[in-house]
Amino acid sequence: MTRSRSAGAGRQYDAIIIGGGHNGLVTAAYLARAGRRVLVLERRYLVGGAAVTEEVVPGFKFSVFSYVVSLLRPEIIRDLSLPAHGLEVLPLESTVTPMFNGDYLAAWPDADRTRREIARHSPRDAEAYEEYGRLMGLMAMAVKPIIGMVPPDPTSLSLRDLRGLLKVGRHFQSLSDRHFHLLYKLMTMSAADFLDEWFESDVLKATKSASGIIGTFMGPRTPGSAYVLLHHYMGEIDGAYRAWGFARGGTGAISESIASAARAMGADIRLDAEVARVRVRDGRATGVVLANGDEIEAATVVSSLDPRRTFLTLVAESDLPDEFVADVRRFKIRGSSGKVNLALSGLPDFTCMPGVGPHLRGAMSISPSLEYVERAYDDAKYGSFSRQPYMDMILPSVIDPGMAPPGKHVMSVFVQYAPYNLNGGWTDAKREAFGDAVVNTIESFAPGFKSKILHRQVITPLDIERITGLSEGNIFAGELALHQLFFLRPAPGWAKFATPVRDFYQCGSGTHPGGGIMGASGRLAAMRMLKDGT
Amino acid sequence: MSRESYCDAVVIGAGANGLAAAHYLARTGKRVTVVEQRQTADPSADIGWVPARVVRDLGMRDLRLEEPDPWLTAPLSGGGALELSRDVSRSADAIRRVSPADAAQWPEFCARLSTLAGVLEKLYLAPPPDIETRDPRELARIGGLGLYVRRLGKQAVIDLARILPMSIAELLDDWFASDVLKGALGALGIWHLKQGPRSGGTAFNFLHHHAGSPAGVFRPARSNITKVLEGMKGVDVRRGNRATVLAKNGRATGVVLEKTGETILSPLVVSSADPRATLNPVAIELDPEFARAVDNIKARGVVARGTLTLEGPPNYANLCIAPSLEYLERAYDDAKYGRDSAAPYVEVQKTNGRLELHVQYVPYTDGTANVPRHQALQQKVAQLLGVQTSQVKLQSPDEEELQRGATEGHLYHGELTLDQILFMRPVPGWSRYRTPIAGLYLCGSGTHPGGGIPGAAGRNAAREIA
Repeated sequence: MTRSRSAGAGRQYDAIIIGGGHNGLVTAAYLARAGRRVLVLERRYLVGGAAVTEEVVPGFKFSVFSYVVSLLRPEIIRDLSLPAHGLEVLPLESTVTPMFNGDYLAAWPDADRTRREIARHSPRDAEAYEEYGRLMGLMAMAVKPIIGMVPPDPTSLSLRDLRGLLKVGRHFQSLSDRHFHLLYKLMTMSAADFLDEWFESDVLKATKSASGIIGTFMGPRTPGSAYVLLHHYMGEIDGAYRAWGFARGGTGAISESIASAARAMGADIRLDAEVARVRVRDGRATGVVLANGDEIEAATVVSSLDPRRTFLTLVAESDLPDEFVADVRRFKIRGSSGKVNLALSGLPDFTCMPGVGPHLRGAMSISPSLEYVERAYDDAKYGSFSRQPYMDMILPSVIDPGMAPPGKHVMSVFVQYAPYNLNGGWTDAKREAFGDAVVNTIESFAPGFKSKILHRQVITPLDIERITGLSEGNIFAGELALHQLFFLRPAPGWAKFATPVRDFYQCGSGTHPGGGIMGASGRLAAMRMLKDGT
Repeated sequence: MSRESYCDAVVIGAGANGLAAAHYLARTGKRVTVVEQRQTADPSADIGWVPARVVRDLGMRDLRLEEPDPWLTAPLSGGGALELSRDVSRSADAIRRVSPADAAQWPEFCARLSTLAGVLEKLYLAPPPDIETRDPRELARIGGLGLYVRRLGKQAVIDLARILPMSIAELLDDWFASDVLKGALGALGIWHLKQGPRSGGTAFNFLHHHAGSPAGVFRPARSNITKVLEGMKGVDVRRGNRATVLAKNGRATGVVLEKTGETILSPLVVSSADPRATLNPVAIELDPEFARAVDNIKARGVVARGTLTLEGPPNYANLCIAPSLEYLERAYDDAKYGRDSAAPYVEVQKTNGRLELHVQYVPYTDGTANVPRHQALQQKVAQLLGVQTSQVKLQSPDEEELQRGATEGHLYHGELTLDQILFMRPVPGWSRYRTPIAGLYLCGSGTHPGGGIPGAAGRNAAREIA
């Protein structure tokens, strides 16, 4: 095996990874696995970034930000033996959407039961549903090779890029006409229009389209939202496409397992170590300077922070080409979602499904109609949080009792929309008003809910930014819009994890393919660095 | 017993595309009959670039393009107006009065978009590239297109990939600060779309309507193309009768005229009517999947068109009321929920000696004439323009459907969204003007390259048939 060119230089580290989020940890683990001496620097007291579990109230553990797992690449789980390091994913199989009229729409793990349930709303949709699921699975498979490759640069004339472009071209040619057209539609249409071609039941379309808007600043009628629909179908747990799950011990357990794997392979992880800037000499990164003034040398530096933070705060603009800086500034990172974490004295009692039942083991989706979700978006478009937001709620303590004291529960509520740029800015009063809008909406579907709340933690996009460092609180570290994907993520010409500063790399969600607890960016970045001789 | 007649090709519709297709076919020696439901020619659809190739091929010597200068007048909130001229530097001077920074950006913006529009112009004069093909000739053509784009330079490649899927609001926000400029330009991005300026793909729609215009002119030209084509000899045009396609055993056999019941037998039927209206009567002959795709064509009419009558000549050639992108977005919000915009985008174009109105959004509802709604709309538009209600005459998409038969009153027979262009137009896999019915072809705005380029689809279709 070729050792890095710094091996004899007497430096302590071959690579420093800035940021201990899941992508940073994945990069670290892969580099350590290849025998590199690696140091991860994390600003907070714990690893995970936006994938953390914290005991905000004694006895109650919250997956503070990210709360479900679906996209984590199976090859990462395998390569890093994550189960041996404590990763256990518990399935989250059902989704129930309460409706205004007291009825509901449910999707169960049992396909037959789901079909009967959908037929209750529309027999035609029940028929279409099976075919839809099959095709979306196929589509997810069809994009998989694209997600797994380093994006070629169509503006470059290098042999490697031309070969890459040819590979993409051949891949699309290998699809049947019908599948190619479907994929093209998914890339360009709005979730609502796309679903209109399949289904007639409004509540079904609303619930499906909701997964197309998560983490974006788009409504279900905004073109481009259909792609995110697919992005969320790409999840694979144990090889089963589109299964959603919940990590035992909360989302932080995923980060901990990757950190543990990285450590076992020899990586150092330093907490409470904020990086102030990357040291650049003669256009080459040579190490980092910590906020406390300490300097650490390394042959290579990798940032897992989002593109804006990476290029506009860690390095000086003068070290970057003007055009690149302009591209980074243009990169859209609009935060649109918030989170409400609740400690409950008991389980919520939904009007549509009274009492305790299997529905509480899955997700509850507040998406009663397309118009409801679209109106939630309208509020955000003009700078307000949604008065009646779209919400995705789960009760981790029902599946994993260790998350809350006996008889008590925790509830994770993902809320959209909450724009980062709120009219007049976010204040404590507005944060509480936002929290009120959330619990009042839940109360309208589950009377008596508010009286069960022991503690509520309301997280605005501004809070996400402050705590995790994600610019504007965008959960994908850069919107998953068509013009920000593949060779354009995060900037044209720099989508291959390298940066205009030599020996300085990027590996966060803001790079290809990005988004979700996926780890693909971190893994691809590590591979690329190793290829480059790190 | 009803009469029967024969010819080599029947063309449905005597608009620019139908007539262009007819003349191209006639030049190959075919006897062509064109059937049109309207009694008189309608010049109001002659919007957009007429490719020089078509003018030359058909020898349209009398074709006149209207090239107003200034091409756009946008009222300013404090009085006065922003006037954009055909001369790039003169426009920059005008913009400087509202925003010096924007004026500095203007020349570069115009140049970059003109380069991209050039790519579309190239794509539009041929059938759409068939990306899924294995035919070496088609692959070579696609390779040639790729090479052409790469020769335009690195910036053009990046711009194409970045800008096409973008929203017009994002694109304009990247370049400009002035609301009035962004509103006036952004309006072109939503033309005939049930989308707001913040919807992805509206930047493409903007570029589509820029194709064929000189750099710095962002309103499609107007022409007299229909009149010129109609005045040309060589095809037989029969007006005042609506034609329905006849097909048997998967083959087109001709058309039947609704009023007289007369049958015109022909082995070749070419329809410039909208795909849904053309294919519905023969749906029984179609494969269910194809029929479903036709049914799924989005053609949601959102524009009321009409005329404005003034006592004296106006002090503008093209007036645009779209003071900001947010104004347009809010106008769209109403349409999203099925209402006419409370404050619509209004454009008045002086053409062929009259003033034409474009009012958006007026969403198609149920295909019936709704008198109170109509009056309220005319009143609102009159108010915006500062004229009497009696001076405004508008036709809603519902009325347009009733009178012209275009599905949901959509002028382009299908929205120009990213999922309905190129090889996806009119339906995926059938972008080569053919249909599953042998001998039945489409050649209207519903096919590639779509509305706003009169004659291009007609030419492409005729060449594909011949």
